[in-house]
Amino acid sequence: MEESVEKTTRKKHPWFWSSALASIILRLVLIIYFPNTLNFSSRPEVSTPVTSLRRLAEGYWLKRSSMSPYAGSMYHGSPLLLSILGPLTIDRDEGQSHLLCGLAFVIADFVTAILIRAIGQRLQGADIQSLKSLGAGRHLKISENFPTGDIASLVYLWNPLTIITCLGYSTSPIENLMIVLSLYGACKRLVPLAAFGWVMASHLSLYPVILIIPLVLLIGSGLDTPPRKLFLQEKHGDGYKKTKTGSLHLINFSWRRVVLFFLWSSAWALYVLVLCGISLKDYSGLGEMFKRTYGFILSVEDLSPNIGVLYFFAEVFDFFRDFFLIVFHINILFMVLPLAIRLHHRPCFLAFVYIAISSILKSYPSVGDSALYLGLLGLFVNALADMQFSFFLFSGYLGTLLLSPVMHNLWIWRGTGNANFYFATAMAYACFQIILVVESVSSMLNHDRALKQGTTDVAKKVCQSLKDEPGLPTPRKFSLPK
Amino acid sequence: MTNRSINNVLSRSILTTVIITLLLSSSILHFSDAAASSSMHTNNWAVLVCTSRFWFNYRHMANTLSLYRTVKRLGIPDERIILMLADDMACNARNKYPAQVFNNENHRLNLYGDNVEVDYRGYEVTVENFLRVLTGRHENAVPRSKRLLSDEGSHILLYMTGHGGDEFLKFQDSEELQSHDLADAVKQMKEKRRFKELLIMVDTCQAATLFSQLHSPGVLAIGSSMKGENSYSHHLDSDVGVSVVDRFTFYTLAFFERLNMYDNASLSSLFSSFNPNLLLSTAYYRTDLYQEQVEKVPVTNFFGSVMKTIHTDSAYRAVSGKDRSRVKSDVSSAQSDDVDAQRMTGSDPERQVDHSDIKVVKGGGCPHADLWNAIVEKFQGVKNVDQIVNYGLVGMLTLVAVSTWQSS
Repeated sequence: MEESVEKTTRKKHPWFWSSALASIILRLVLIIYFPNTLNFSSRPEVSTPVTSLRRLAEGYWLKRSSMSPYAGSMYHGSPLLLSILGPLTIDRDEGQSHLLCGLAFVIADFVTAILIRAIGQRLQGADIQSLKSLGAGRHLKISENFPTGDIASLVYLWNPLTIITCLGYSTSPIENLMIVLSLYGACKRLVPLAAFGWVMASHLSLYPVILIIPLVLLIGSGLDTPPRKLFLQEKHGDGYKKTKTGSLHLINFSWRRVVLFFLWSSAWALYVLVLCGISLKDYSGLGEMFKRTYGFILSVEDLSPNIGVLYFFAEVFDFFRDFFLIVFHINILFMVLPLAIRLHHRPCFLAFVYIAISSILKSYPSVGDSALYLGLLGLFVNALADMQFSFFLFSGYLGTLLLSPVMHNLWIWRGTGNANFYFATAMAYACFQIILVVESVSSMLNHDRALKQGTTDVAKKVCQSLKDEPGLPTPRKFSLPK
Repeated sequence: MTNRSINNVLSRSILTTVIITLLLSSSILHFSDAAASSSMHTNNWAVLVCTSRFWFNYRHMANTLSLYRTVKRLGIPDERIILMLADDMACNARNKYPAQVFNNENHRLNLYGDNVEVDYRGYEVTVENFLRVLTGRHENAVPRSKRLLSDEGSHILLYMTGHGGDEFLKFQDSEELQSHDLADAVKQMKEKRRFKELLIMVDTCQAATLFSQLHSPGVLAIGSSMKGENSYSHHLDSDVGVSVVDRFTFYTLAFFERLNMYDNASLSSLFSSFNPNLLLSTAYYRTDLYQEQVEKVPVTNFFGSVMKTIHTDSAYRAVSGKDRSRVKSDVSSAQSDDVDAQRMTGSDPERQVDHSDIKVVKGGGCPHADLWNAIVEKFQGVKNVDQIVNYGLVGMLTLVAVSTWQSS
């Protein structure tokens, strides 16, 4: 089943590998030949206080001078990143440090793209299987023709935002790699890998913690499927006996794997904490690490401009600051549960929505987070083909991302604008992102309803043919909302 | 009977010896007290006050700045100079040479150079602030740089210039300092042991009247003119437009320009260098309150700085960053003029006190405690942290790969 899908994709789209290599070569060319002209690392949209490589270099230097790497509130990342990336930031020769760092990020991007492709292929396989069992032929043809894995990974590689993040010397590519690694492990039911990816992603930045829900759903019940009701309805239309409604959600949910996942993630978490503790043994230990990394993200101490919704913290009275902090973070948490209930049958899409929401509402967003969810958006092109406002969103994204550096220049360098200019584009960007999320969720739900319609047609035909037989209940009429 | 007489003689002799020892001890104590009261000369301070403002009093500020420069050149650092100036000459709108103050028409020396540290400037130069500086009675918020932090081993040079008269000195055209105020302040200083010796130098009209009321011992004073005489300016600088220096200060500086830090020209040579025909006034000095002999006192006792080295035998150890929390010794080989530097805590740096965060369980009956102690010690004895972290990361990656391969 899967091999035939893969063969067809390779036959029809051999250009995947050449396009991927071309994007890698483009990044390498830009890193080697234009190291000083493209100053992306100084842009607030690209490097934030949490992901900037300059701060990592500072933290590494502090550590080598026998001081705590968190001294002076420059570095706010993980000590393990210091050990991995720190030696690469030393200025050995003139430009060699940039080369090594850039190479590391290019490799991270490439591996992320390959993993996205693998996820896409599995998603496509699962999709085709479920559609075949439902008998929705029209959708099946579309699903077979579009290799979502290739599309998604090429979108990720050729997205200008990803290229800018790769060249901008921020640690976002590594965070993205960990998130995608966890998704890949969950899709392939590789529990240790998924646990490792999730633990590392939450360790590097706090927000992937909410991905626990889609990962548990992926590991427990498998990949994205149309709603279970459709399967039951089909069986119902066949005249099959009714199943118990109580066990609707628990069909084929392997608790064993979920428990294994939790065990593995606690093991990895312990390992990571022990390593961090050893690394910070001489200075102040894990308490300071938590205070400076997670505490910094949660308490939003640094109010330098970025492309997020942080601006209103600059206008908040000190007395109400705690209240606004709580509101700010609960904004993300409130959306977790309703989305989980509504989209529990599509855990991969749920993960995408969570990543998108946390990219919009996190305390220090950057274009690297947007690059990730735009890449994952490509995994669902079959379902989201009928998305409304797609052209409007595309031009909106383009417009705000082009205007944002202009407004920053007007504000800071020329002094002819003020902060409102820059944050207007930031808010417009947030608006467009929110519209994208809302529209993608609604179009996915519409796709599910269309599947229902497709299957009800099939079921109706089947029932019509069987209507002659007595004792059969007539199929219920489904009214589709517009 | 003889026993009683022997007893009497014995008791009497014991009594006399006791009395004699008491007398001796008291005299020894008295002598030691006297020895303690004559403390060692450990540091020099200078309080330089210019009491005039406005452009036509350029020469008073030039006087003070010239003496400031001399005193710094001969070794007193800024932290032991209190400079009180109105400081409105250098950036005055009438100053043809902005940010420059000269004391000679050849403009050879710019007195307002790079490192002039004025402690009381502008309207802060008041009689109240001056008296507070002398007596040390400041508000809590006054910073240390504005305080005269002298002690009983200090020699203080007090130089005042401006417009004065019979028993008074005019401050900033609005107040006066009277001679008995000054004498009162000096008496308070002596009571509080704020100086060992004090040299007062006044360059105003009828200067000698200002220190006529002094009674405290250890004070030496010289003024540029006597009662009824005026002190004159030296010359007019036609380029700047005003007189740039006073005669008394001019000849004082001429005396000091010949000296450097190591000369031991005596105070009497300074005092006798003033020629009344050149000064157009009589430079009067009083030495009746001063115990020393002015022929034997070098001028650097007041105008220069004390360089005293205290020899120590203990070793100097550099403390590294990691051992900062461990080594508790505070070894300092002191050579500064402060008395505080003489406090040296010598301790054996070899003794390393282990301030560990992990509590070491008391060994004893429990075998696990010994094992735990061994683990904790090994944990703390590990030096090469980075290598371990790198190994840990590599191990983590291999573990991931192995587990993934296993479960697939």
